[in-house]
Amino acid sequence: MLDIELLGMELKNPLMLASGILGVSGASLKRVALSGGAGAIVTKSIGMTPREGHRNPTFVELDNGYLSAIGLANPGYVEFEEEIDVAKAGNVPIIASVYGFSFREYVEVGRVMEGYGADAIELNLSYPNVGKAGAFYGYSEELAHEVVAEVKKEVNLPVIAKLTAGAGDIVAIAKACEDAGADGITAIGSLRAMKIDIETGRPVLGNKMGGLSGSCIKPIAVRCVYEISREVSIPVIGCGGITTGEDAIEYFMAGANAVQIGTGLLSRGITIFKKVSLEIKEYMEENGYSGIDEIIGLAL
Amino acid sequence: MNTMEIAKIKRVVKDTQRIKTFILDIDVSAIPGQFVMVWLPDVDEKPMSVSYTSGDMGITILELGDFTRRLCELKVGGKIGIRGPMGRGFKVYGDRLLLVGGGVGMAPLAPLAEDAIKEGKEVTAIVGAITAKELLFVERLKKAGVRVFVSTDDGTAGYKGFTTDVLQELLQKETFDQCFTCGPEIMMFKVLNIAEDKEIPTQASLHRYFKCGIGICGHCVLDGTGLRVCKEGPTFRDKELRKSHEFGYYWRNAAGQKIYFGVKK
Repeated sequence: MLDIELLGMELKNPLMLASGILGVSGASLKRVALSGGAGAIVTKSIGMTPREGHRNPTFVELDNGYLSAIGLANPGYVEFEEEIDVAKAGNVPIIASVYGFSFREYVEVGRVMEGYGADAIELNLSYPNVGKAGAFYGYSEELAHEVVAEVKKEVNLPVIAKLTAGAGDIVAIAKACEDAGADGITAIGSLRAMKIDIETGRPVLGNKMGGLSGSCIKPIAVRCVYEISREVSIPVIGCGGITTGEDAIEYFMAGANAVQIGTGLLSRGITIFKKVSLEIKEYMEENGYSGIDEIIGLAL
Repeated sequence: MNTMEIAKIKRVVKDTQRIKTFILDIDVSAIPGQFVMVWLPDVDEKPMSVSYTSGDMGITILELGDFTRRLCELKVGGKIGIRGPMGRGFKVYGDRLLLVGGGVGMAPLAPLAEDAIKEGKEVTAIVGAITAKELLFVERLKKAGVRVFVSTDDGTAGYKGFTTDVLQELLQKETFDQCFTCGPEIMMFKVLNIAEDKEIPTQASLHRYFKCGIGICGHCVLDGTGLRVCKEGPTFRDKELRKSHEFGYYWRNAAGQKIYFGVKK
């Protein structure tokens, strides 16, 4: 009932693990797939060299969401081969998230991930907390177009562009990516934000600024998915604040072909994918739907 | 909710030359073995075992790097941020308990011992340090009614050698319902082996590099098990640790790279 075909990948359900969540090691990804029930897993964003990321605090809970600035910490693409190998035992498609500080780096890491056996590449054009990587490319139509075009030239896997609502016009960026050959769009990544502790008068995060995620960004993300879905013909993957089946259904109705779950794991545990799957099924049964495709884009 | 709470330092105790205990003005009601994330504004945030779990909370800090040095400079009235308590504490079920602590690893074991004695259990502790002056909480344990064995690497107090030597000898003569250990991972690895030979169930408190501290970022996940040290840990049963080929061999740094304790397996 929930199985879908997306970019040539067979997913047992349309719920993916979002990048940056439990994705540093193969053991972790495997657990999310096997025990958690995710339909696909997106790795931590991987770059060319190991990065320790920002100083702690890197993650704080707010009233209706979370603020984080891990800072693209990752072991680098050389050491990540064995993590992908271990993650394969999860028996679900593996989407490798890739970031770079240049077009060349995006291409290089993408090629290497293809060699490791990833099923698709998600270009991180959305991460807002490291200067000239991630969102730096997603803020500009020209840069987004070029990075996608360069990667598509040398990588034969499906290429998904993950975008940020921090861009002035996310729809224009999505169209630029489609035009450059992107096979899919993920919307959205966390939004640049900040928290100051008023007892000490200091910014809480080590990086001062962070990315806002969780329930509070869901309405923005749903709007982005809705607007993008109307303008592009490639699949759109919704991301931002999904905790329940109802949240996911809202995204499908806005035009998402699949969704990603991240901080929802905090309130519902690693098995959130199983729980949300069940909730979607219940909704579909109650409302007489037999396949996810019947609700995709219903609100458009 | 796991929000940051700002705590004031009520009391500072210099336990050894390199270890200090900070008693704070908050009560987080932690279970021994649980930890808090300690934030020093503009410096860093790191996990620390709760060393005084009931009443005013205490943390016990070994001066090791920049963060702990800056933390140890704080005086009464100083403010730090606290998130927690987090993770899973030790689970006590037997009547005859054995603790093996190395260095600042005594921090989560001392409150466990005090609670257990209050509940009428019999507690024996092997406390180890590099030298006599670095022995932690020996008097505190004795005062609580714990039978204490001491070892020092240099022989300045107690047995000259390691806690594991004392353990080996003790287990020739006696048995225990449960063993709890915290300290250098190589030590804990050996403790597990020795206790396992005698069929004594053991729980160990692991140290890993934490970022989020609440089980979402994935930086502290144990290979072979997928268990998160900050969430399913930091205390683990021997059976859980046996499934991990990481335990006793390596940890992952802030970048997620494997760093081997000794020689690569």
